[in-house]
Amino acid sequence: MNHLAYLDAGSGSLIVQAVVGGIAGVAVAAKLYWRRLVSRFRRQPTDQS
Amino acid sequence: MAIPDLGRSTRPAPLDVDPRPEPGSFRDPANRIFHAGDDVLRALDRTAAAHWRALAASSFFPPLLAAGKVCGTEELPPGSPLRDLPTRPASSDWATVLRHERVPFVSHPYEWSFAMVRDAALLHLEILRAAMSAGFTTKDGSAYNLQWRGTDPIFIDVGSFIPLRDGEPWAGYRQFCQTLLYPLMLGAHLGLAFQPWLRAQIDGIDPEQMGPLFRGTRRLLPGVLTHVHLHGSVQRRSAATSTADVRAQLRDAGYTRELALATVRGLEKLVRRLDHQPPSTHWVDYQQTCGYSGDDRAGKERFVAAALAVADRRRLVLDLGANDGRYARLAARHADYVVAVEQDPAVVDRLYRTLRGEGERRVLPLVMDLADPSPGGGWRGVERASFAARASADTVLALALVHHLAIGRNVPLPEVVACLAGFAAPGGRLVVEFVHPDDPMAARLLANKPDGLFPDYRRDAFEALLAGHGTVEERLELPSGTRTLYRVAFS
Ligand SMILES: C[S@@+](CC[C@H](N)C(=O)[O-])C[C@H]1O[C@@H](n2cnc3c(N)ncnc32)[C@H](O)[C@@H]1O
Repeated sequence: MNHLAYLDAGSGSLIVQAVVGGIAGVAVAAKLYWRRLVSRFRRQPTDQS
Repeated sequence: MAIPDLGRSTRPAPLDVDPRPEPGSFRDPANRIFHAGDDVLRALDRTAAAHWRALAASSFFPPLLAAGKVCGTEELPPGSPLRDLPTRPASSDWATVLRHERVPFVSHPYEWSFAMVRDAALLHLEILRAAMSAGFTTKDGSAYNLQWRGTDPIFIDVGSFIPLRDGEPWAGYRQFCQTLLYPLMLGAHLGLAFQPWLRAQIDGIDPEQMGPLFRGTRRLLPGVLTHVHLHGSVQRRSAATSTADVRAQLRDAGYTRELALATVRGLEKLVRRLDHQPPSTHWVDYQQTCGYSGDDRAGKERFVAAALAVADRRRLVLDLGANDGRYARLAARHADYVVAVEQDPAVVDRLYRTLRGEGERRVLPLVMDLADPSPGGGWRGVERASFAARASADTVLALALVHHLAIGRNVPLPEVVACLAGFAAPGGRLVVEFVHPDDPMAARLLANKPDGLFPDYRRDAFEALLAGHGTVEERLELPSGTRTLYRVAFS
């Protein structure tokens, strides 16, 4: 994907940076987690069928 | 973008030495460092070369270069013989080659004092902030991106700059925490020395290792809740998601360059708050308590100054057991560069701050126990060169040190002399002080050990050992009669 990044930046380390970036950043992190949650609920019915 | 010529009076003709890949530069395959004689070269692949050109044309990079905050860099003209560097198997030729200023003495973060790590961290963040504002970022954030020109930190990893894609957090944040921020937290919050941690782990300190040290009310110390605990737990919970997915999710959630900049500014503010003076030890007051008479001191200074003045090569002086740097400063008047080695982190921290305050830019103070010097580290033990592999000085100063090693640490006297002689380059000199067994300072050390443990700690035995390694050119017994200075030349 990102061929410039030879280094594993760490998934958690990327997310945490949003949180330490102030209120706007916390909102971004919250949105990220909210979307993950929503997409999990959306996926579930299809998973069971 | 000229390269300051750091004391390089005679440069070997191009490629009279085969270019040697730097063992510490393999991690990012886009570029590779080579040494060719005195030249430090950076070979770039096609993408890295494009980034370099964008960097050289950017608004932020040339001013940093001019201010000496980034190591001197110029692109070699096509056709330069230095551009002919070996490539990796199965990869195309390097697209271009840069020549860098030679760092006068390469050091590792575990050899730096608290204030040095702090200043290095601040420089890294300052450069990152400038880069981000101009649409660039750095690929990594390691303490190993920094080196020293005396007491000035410099950013050396020119290959680290890449264009910033909007919506991307800093890829180097984790490395920054592990190799710069956490060491500073250990010092400022807990009063612990960070050097052993960094020396033992090339990737620095993991959030998981920090967590248990910051339980209870310590969670509330500046930066701890977010950069340590939250970082650790998000890392644990995100382990299954790839960084590519997380990047995409962050971008979709509205992460912006302004947020990335806010994070960097937040880190800068935090690092500024993390101030700490390592606790005083008895060595901090050594110059007041050392028991030299005024005559002794004057005689010693004259002897050392004369020894430095006769040297025909004066690129590097090593001052071993430098304490408050009195002789390192003296040496800096005669040599291009002085590395002042001292075991006591509090003494080194104070020396660094004073030298910086004085504007002394040619002395590099380092924390190291000479009875346990930095070993080789990283991959195959060569990625980070050992102190022995780096130390090759035109003049070695070992003043009031031998008794600490021979009596204090039980190192056999022949070993001590061989070690000191080994730090001198061929044609170099050793200026060494022998503290006689009846001197009050030596007697104090001897009193802590069983009688008769050091039968060969005698002046005649010491002189015979010196003569076995080189030519004793000068000898001076100090007026008090319990210390003798020697100047030894090696062929
Ligand atoms: C007696 S003072 C001499 C200071 C200075 N060289 C002079 O002549 O005035 C000895 C210094 O050597 C340092 N020292 C002692 N053992 C050492 C070791 N194993 N490695 C590095 N430094 C050491 C001490 O911390 C102290 O600052």
